[in-house]
This record gives sequence, C-alpha cells and structure tokens, in this order.
Amino acid sequence: MFDLATVFEFTRDTVIFTVGITAVLASLGVILCSSPIYCALYLISHMICLALLFLLYNAEFLAAVQIIVYAGAVMILFLFIIALLGGQKEAQEHTFERSIAFTFIFTLLGELYLSATVGPTKQVEGKIAPELFGTAKAIGLELYSKHLVAFELASALLLVAAVGVICLAKFSFAPLKRR
Amino acid sequence: MDWITEFLDELWDFIVQSLADNIPLIVGSVKAVVIAVAVMSVVPFLVWLERRLMGRFQVRLGPNRVGPFGFGQPMADTIKLLFKESIIQTSADKFLFHLAPAVVVFTAIVAFAVIPFGAPFEIFGQNIELWGANINSGILFVFAISGMGIYGMVIAGLSSNNKYSLMGGLRSSAQMISYELTLGLSALSIILLTGSLSLVDMVKAQETVPFILIQPLAFLLFFIAGVAETNRAPFDLPEAEQELVAGFHTEYTGMKFAMFFMGEYINMVTMSALVTLLFLGGWNSYGIPVWPIVSFAAKVVFLLCVFIWLRSTFPRIRYDRLMTFGWKVLLPLCLLNLLITGTIKVM
Repeated sequence: MFDLATVFEFTRDTVIFTVGITAVLASLGVILCSSPIYCALYLISHMICLALLFLLYNAEFLAAVQIIVYAGAVMILFLFIIALLGGQKEAQEHTFERSIAFTFIFTLLGELYLSATVGPTKQVEGKIAPELFGTAKAIGLELYSKHLVAFELASALLLVAAVGVICLAKFSFAPLKRR
Repeated sequence: MDWITEFLDELWDFIVQSLADNIPLIVGSVKAVVIAVAVMSVVPFLVWLERRLMGRFQVRLGPNRVGPFGFGQPMADTIKLLFKESIIQTSADKFLFHLAPAVVVFTAIVAFAVIPFGAPFEIFGQNIELWGANINSGILFVFAISGMGIYGMVIAGLSSNNKYSLMGGLRSSAQMISYELTLGLSALSIILLTGSLSLVDMVKAQETVPFILIQPLAFLLFFIAGVAETNRAPFDLPEAEQELVAGFHTEYTGMKFAMFFMGEYINMVTMSALVTLLFLGGWNSYGIPVWPIVSFAAKVVFLLCVFIWLRSTFPRIRYDRLMTFGWKVLLPLCLLNLLITGTIKVM
C-alpha cells in the first residue's frame, strides 16, 4: 500500500514543480509590479528559485555560483541604485511605448507556443563521470579545456566594458583631499 | 471497524519500517534541530561575554548584579525584549519591515548548517558526523548564504522610510560588496592549497600544520574582511551610533530589534568558525590531548574574544577610508597573495 520510494519520488516531483511555478510567478511579478523595490525583490526570488532548481538536479556548484553572482552581487547593486534614486512608484500611462510592449509580449507568447509545439526538451549527450557530476571540477575541466578561447574572450569583453563604464562616468569634480 | 484497525496497523508498520530504513534521515533531522537551537541560544551568552569583557577592557565592572557573575542579565534582557511593544511607523512599508529581520536571522542560521565542528565518531553502530551537511562546495555555500544576509539590512533601510535607516542600508550594501571580494579571494588561496571546496577536506589537509603558518597574509586579510562582513567595530559603519542614530535598525523595537542582533552575533560565530576551519586547523589539536570538538570550540571562543577585543581597541574608520582601504590595499594584496600561491603550487 505504501512504498517509500514512491513517496520520495512524489515529494521530489512536487518540490520541483512548486519551485518552478514560483519562479514563473516571481518573473511575472518583476514585469507587472509598479514599485521598483518590489520588482527587484521579485527578481531576487526568481534567482533563488533558479538556484533551487539547480540544487534539485544535483548541480551544487552551479547553485552556489548562481546565488553568489546573480542574487548576491548583481541584485544588491540594483537595490543600491534603487535606494539611491528613491523607490517611488511609477505612474501608469497609456503611451506608444506601452503598445509596443504589448506587441512584444504577444510575440514572446507566440514563440513560447512554437517552442512548446516543436517538441519536448531533450537530454544533452555527454560523458561526465557520475562522481564528478555537478562539482566545480567538472565545470572547470569543461571550461578550461574545450571552451578556453571563448572563455578568455568573454573575460576580455567584460574588462573592456568595465573600463568603458569608468570612462563614461568619470568624475568631473575634484576628489576629496586626504588629510 | 476492521478496515480502520487494519489501515492503522499497516500505517504503523510502514512508519516503523521507514524509520528503521532511514536512520540517516532521523540523524540529519536531529542534527538540524540541535544546530539551530544551539546557535540561537548561544547569542545571550555572547552578549553577556561582550559586555563583561568590554567592561574589563574599559576598566569597569560590567553587568554583575543579576545572578552569579551577572549571568542572569542576558536572560532578563531576553525576556524584556520578548515582552516589549513592537512599534511600526505608519509611513513604513509593513511587509518589507517585517521581512527584513526574518531574512537576517534565517540566513545566519542556514549558513551555519555546513560548518563541521568535530571529527566523525561511532555511536550505537552509527557513524555520526558532526556537521549538518557535507556538500562538496561547502565554502561557496557559506559565502552565498551570508551574501543573502545583506538583503535583510538593505530591506530594513529601504522599508523604514527614515533617512538614517536608508543611509545605513546603503552603507551596508556598499561595504559588504567591497569586502566580500577580499573574503572570497583570500579563501581562494586556501582552496588552491587543498584543491577542494569542501570544509571537511580543508580541515583534513591541516592535520600536520595549520594553514595560518603557510598563509599568514591570507589569514590576516580574511580576518579583516570577516570583521567588516559581520559589521563589527571598527567597520560598523552601517550602524554608526554617532552619525546615524542606529543605522538600518533605527526604527525597530522589541524582538525585531533583537533579531538583528541575533543575526549579527550568529554571523560572528560563523565567521570565527570559518577562520578556525580555514586557517587554525579546525578540530585538529596538534598534540594537546583534548576532544576534537573541545579544540574547535576553544579556537572559536578565542576568536570571538578577539572580535570583542578589536571593538574596544579601535576607533571607527571613516567611510571614504573604509572604501579606500578595501579597494586599494586589501584587494591588491589579496591578488598578489593569490599569484604567489598559484606560482608556488604550479612549480
């Protein structure tokens, strides 16, 4: 009548489903909420849900990195800027941009329909030793052997972006004198 | 009525059988409860220790009236805080105002889940490991969760609708981002040495020599960044009393106010435990015949005393100097240390 494996499997499926639904709801909250603080918080909860999904599929390292980089570093900067500028609610207006946004949403929905009808998602073919699965070592081996050039190019691109931002935002006033 | 008793019998058999089959599950649950309760109940003791030690450092007595050595003081304070009225100002965002202290305490307790505090031992034929979870990227997990703890302070600052709170929240986010880099990079040199992200492996690698002797610079950088990450003096800019009233928790009263302090003290314990695991050899006692857990606890308590010692010794650092110090002194030193460690490791 009762079977422990079934109970575990059912619980696991339920948890995965709940986390997935929460992620979708949170991402809806990001675009539907009018207060910037709540938008940022919805985005953070979406990131956390993604990390939980990684964790549920045994990718511990990816989950930790997802939280450190996106939920930890990027989103704290978002909140920092919101706090600096003041988190007033936006006034809702019907403008040309709004109609463009609706068109965009319907295009996206169409794409979603297309991708759903094309076929179910397929497993990625690959050879990873089971004891390496989800560890930092597996990712490192893949990243620094197969994709080394792309990885280095991406890092150069990020460096250029960082230097560019500093050039654009260069202070026009004299910095504080050290005493 | 037969089918009910039958059903209950079957259910009972199932429960007994599944409990017998899943002893690791039960052990895990017990450990989780023990860790959470222990971590939370250590906070009043720490407050007492801090007040007593600070008193001694400042050539006064400290609280000594309630009970022996003033031990009753933390209990009296806890009861007082529990019964105090909780005031929320009308212009505050109520949901976020309630959320902030919960985030702080939750993240502080969860971060402690992967801290190993003793060698595994056998009892009733079961191998009991003295850690909540040994995940293979344990140190990253601690950094990730303690990074989430910043949100508690930022949300508190944003939701209070108070300029001092807002300034405190802004400062805490800027400070945390800056010093997290130093923290991560100095831990990276230890990861390079051990070749593992697991905290248990790091302790095992220090069986003969603690890493503080091999990596003194990394230890210093990690400890400074750790003090800054836990918002302790001399880096307590987010709650600088003389400038910002009380920083991000200005508007909080009663137990919610106390929850911020619980978070801060638990983070202090976690940071001390992390320094112990990474640099002081964890539960290895290097020839002194004590239980592993006693050795670990002694190191953590010593580091906690150092935290309090720092607070009563150094004046608060100015804000622009804090940033200069973090970005222009600590970070280059970290990178240099990492470069040298990497070079030696390769050669």
